[in-house]
Amino acid sequence: MLRPLDFYRRTTVAIASAALVVGTACKNEDTKPPAVDPTETVFTDFANRVDKYMQLRKSIVDTVGDLDPTKSQAEITVRSTTLANGLIAARAQAKPGDIFTPEFSALIATLIKEEYKRRSISVQETRGDQQDELPDFKPTVNQMYPTTYPLATFPATLLPLLPSLPEQLEYRVVQHYLVLRDVEANVILDFIPNAVPM
Amino acid sequence: MRSLWMAGIVATMGATSMAAQDIKLPLKSGSVRFLVLGDAGTGDREQFDVANQMLRYGRRFPFTFAIMLGDNIYGSERPQDFERKFMQPYRALLDADVEFNAALGNHDDPNQRYFKPFNLGGNRYRTFKKGNVRFFVIDSNYLDPAQMKWLEQELSQSGSDWKIAYFHHPLYTTARRGPEVELRAMLEPLFVKHGVDVVFTGHEHIYERLTPQKGIYHFTVGGAAKLRKGDTRADPSIAARYDRDRSFLLAEIAGDTLYFQAVTRTGAVVDKGSLVRREARTAPAAANGSAAAPAKSP
Repeated sequence: MLRPLDFYRRTTVAIASAALVVGTACKNEDTKPPAVDPTETVFTDFANRVDKYMQLRKSIVDTVGDLDPTKSQAEITVRSTTLANGLIAARAQAKPGDIFTPEFSALIATLIKEEYKRRSISVQETRGDQQDELPDFKPTVNQMYPTTYPLATFPATLLPLLPSLPEQLEYRVVQHYLVLRDVEANVILDFIPNAVPM
Repeated sequence: MRSLWMAGIVATMGATSMAAQDIKLPLKSGSVRFLVLGDAGTGDREQFDVANQMLRYGRRFPFTFAIMLGDNIYGSERPQDFERKFMQPYRALLDADVEFNAALGNHDDPNQRYFKPFNLGGNRYRTFKKGNVRFFVIDSNYLDPAQMKWLEQELSQSGSDWKIAYFHHPLYTTARRGPEVELRAMLEPLFVKHGVDVVFTGHEHIYERLTPQKGIYHFTVGGAAKLRKGDTRADPSIAARYDRDRSFLLAEIAGDTLYFQAVTRTGAVVDKGSLVRREARTAPAAANGSAAAPAKSP
């Protein structure tokens, strides 16, 4: 029987944050314990970086316009491409770590690995199978996700443990990478290598 | 080349030796009638064959809408791909005003939600009502907390007699990839709590009908173009199965009963029967079905 997901998230984040606190304390033994929970600081920082991206995104959308349902697939394709090009140009200097900072990446990678350990072998195998049809590519920031390949189904019991995202963004697993993707633009915004056990 | 191919389809429609359209559905006045298809979007000959069979059956069982169980378009999704892998195969049905209601599969770009003929209205998930039936269209590729919250709210608010959920990944199957147990852990409690009667899924390129699982009937209808021969197996949970050719399902809901008929690419009926919605059941074994052509394992 599954415990409430919130229990797993709190437990896993506690483990990860304990590691962060111990690591921080060991750096300088004379330093007093931090007054602020470092995990909360990292997640708040992540939320702020996502907000910053969303503000930039909105400025591009204000230029290219919103997309309403249409009979024209050409219109959908043009809009998606125009949005992607605008975002890529606006973030021409973007690099790994701009949104998934090293601190955030470490926490999330720990969280994911702990979550995988809790799952049965069959679930882990199913998750591995979901990667079968994916291309063997190394994601880069500002890359368009290859359009001829599927997106792997995101592990349903893992997703609620990750920080929430605006509906325009999503997490995806690509082999051992956790990827942050703009859905409409199909652009990879950032990624965490070796986040997902394979 | 394309025009020759289309002319060939028309020419063979009368000449091909295919089973007569054997309607096993009651055609009751005022019933809700629909087509179920999954994993269709290949653009290859088999998809056209199945589509032609749907049209033939549709002339004798006039369904007004279709539910698509995901993998609506395989491979690239350029405008010409939508034309070849959806518009052309189903042109006659679209011209007959059949409404296609798509769910997203793992091969589908989520931007398909903006393609008007799929009727997603710009959303990854949605609900709609036909007669006394409410359908819940779920995006099983990305089951985030927002969608789960939406689903619980919509299920709890629905006063419809029938609740039918459909999405891409099966919660139960004997196909070799196995059921999506994580999705089952998330969705099944909600379905049971709120009285979902039937679940339709695709993803596995076969046909399966299960015995009720926690009171819910599950159908896998994933063979509208793709096929994995020999991918099903006998199991106590399986009431009927077929994996020798492509297939689709016709369904009719009249009052408290859902009648169904699974049809192959060549028009053969490989499963048929009826089931009673959960709240109206008075006996434990409420499905009366027979597999007209039981699948044989290789």
